[in-house]
Amino acid sequence: MPARNREQWEKTPDLKRGEWVDSRIYSDEEIFEEELQKIWKKAWIPLMHESELPEPFDFRTAIIAREPVIVVRGPDNEIRAFLNVCPHRGMAVDRRPAGSFLTGEPSGNAKHMTCMFHGWQFDMKGNCVEIPREQAGYQGRVTKQGQGLRRLRCETKFGGIVWVCLDDKVDCDVEGWAAGSLDCIRKSLDEEPLEIFHYHKAIIDCNYKLWHDTNSEFYHDYMHYHNRITGFDDGYFARKCAAFDNGHVNVGTFTVNYGEYEVADDRGELTFPHLPPNNWYMVDMFPGVNVNLRGSAVRMDLMTPLSANKVMIEFRGLGLKSDSDEVREKRIQHHNTIWGPFGRNLHEDLVGIAGQGVTMMPNSDPRRILHGRHEGLYIHDEVGMRHFYETWGKWMDRLPSDPSKKYEEGVVAGPEMPPARGIKSFPGKVAAE
Amino acid sequence: MSTNGTEMVKDAIYQACLNLDEQKWDDWLGQCDDGFEYSVTAYSPEIGKKMKYLGLDHKELKDYFDLLPKHNTDHSPLRRHATVYSVKVGDDGKTAEAVTSFLITQEMFDGVNAPLDTGENHLFVVGKYHDKLNIENGQAVFTERETRIHTRRLDKGSHWVF
Ligand code: FES
Ligand SMILES: [Fe+2]
Repeated sequence: MPARNREQWEKTPDLKRGEWVDSRIYSDEEIFEEELQKIWKKAWIPLMHESELPEPFDFRTAIIAREPVIVVRGPDNEIRAFLNVCPHRGMAVDRRPAGSFLTGEPSGNAKHMTCMFHGWQFDMKGNCVEIPREQAGYQGRVTKQGQGLRRLRCETKFGGIVWVCLDDKVDCDVEGWAAGSLDCIRKSLDEEPLEIFHYHKAIIDCNYKLWHDTNSEFYHDYMHYHNRITGFDDGYFARKCAAFDNGHVNVGTFTVNYGEYEVADDRGELTFPHLPPNNWYMVDMFPGVNVNLRGSAVRMDLMTPLSANKVMIEFRGLGLKSDSDEVREKRIQHHNTIWGPFGRNLHEDLVGIAGQGVTMMPNSDPRRILHGRHEGLYIHDEVGMRHFYETWGKWMDRLPSDPSKKYEEGVVAGPEMPPARGIKSFPGKVAAE
Repeated sequence: MSTNGTEMVKDAIYQACLNLDEQKWDDWLGQCDDGFEYSVTAYSPEIGKKMKYLGLDHKELKDYFDLLPKHNTDHSPLRRHATVYSVKVGDDGKTAEAVTSFLITQEMFDGVNAPLDTGENHLFVVGKYHDKLNIENGQAVFTERETRIHTRRLDKGSHWVF
């Protein structure tokens, strides 16, 4: 077809409605704010790995939907999460990305979290244990007993991932939230303790869902020279996508032919427990998480949406805690070849979404973004994105193909959408406020 | 051409910066011994670990460079501003270690939004080169380079080594 005039360009495509989305879902500030409230504040978010706080009194800070969070390992070894907000006048309880409360800070005592501003102190369970000159100032009107931190639901689950949910009333635990999507790698993650070896981050001017989409679709392997040249064989096209409750999807395994990559060697001997050699599973969890087990290393991406057109992506790499130095070194090398900041694929993936961010800036003209490839659920099928937007539509009560309209059951995905296991049961899982 | 070991080391480091700035990868490899080992490392206070972001030997680097034209890439040029802080020449005058502080700037080209960004320079990476060199035949040759960076927010990252 020749280049189109405006009317042709804006015409509804000859696809079913669930097979494209309106670009305003990636660019509209009002929709973004609504997503923080309706989705990010109600989902279980895997904020970090427990090996990031290995010792009692270690802590790590994070953000969910603009809310500051602090995660602490107590002397009882339990990991707990709190809002990182001092109940006095709203200072962040701790300002560091990570650290230990074992030693005292200038304003406070060892083994306490101390807000530096006026010296209120909290123990590792979030109890307020010190208000300087409490009686003199408050005469019993404000007491330590009533001034604990805001505790958040927190579970350490699936290979030591620390999950936090801002909403006390969400009617499922992490097991229910994952809805079976992690079962394919569960034994591998849970056989023995894992340990983090890699962390870096990107802040990209694009909507968080564009990164999730990239993680969910493999058609873009055309962009990656190695994947295109060495990967497109029968084994590759035999990989299948599966949809799960709560908007999660995964992509099943195939044998990666690492022998044909120049800067890599066989990964078989370093394969994770219970994973057949060189197998690969990619799990994309709603609303912005990716867990990827590829032979010898786990990669976990966490998206933190910052605005309609800005996302922070944190990249983690994990090996086995029992690794010798030599084995760890190998895992790191494997991880870096593809996923490191100099890796073959990661840079290209990020350049890709940065380019999408340019065409979908806030208030740019709405356009159609196509998610309509059907290949029998095999790897280049875009079912992952369709399933995500089906769930997104329900949670937001908006139609992804026209977000000014209300969600309609079945319209999002279209009749050719494969049955997402149990998806109809989902809306009951989030209790009303 | 210097005759003094310290000066030879400085010459080699600054020449390496020029080669890397101009993406003369083969010329840079030509400054390196066959047993050369290259790494990019960083300490992360976030996870409390020293990390390795890249580790390649001479042959692996050559393969890596040869593949660059086949990759899609952000072509925004990277340029170093470096100062050799210390050079220690071994007692026999045949080996040396050097520490060089550097900043790498990125001249925006096609990485994000070209009509807007082109021509802008911004700070991309901060770090130090920890080099080991042999001094032979009147010049210093790299045997090891650890590029320790202090940048962990790498955004799109790079297909180009630092
Ligand atoms: S704001 Fe925290 S003690 Fe005052
Ligand atoms: Fe990719």
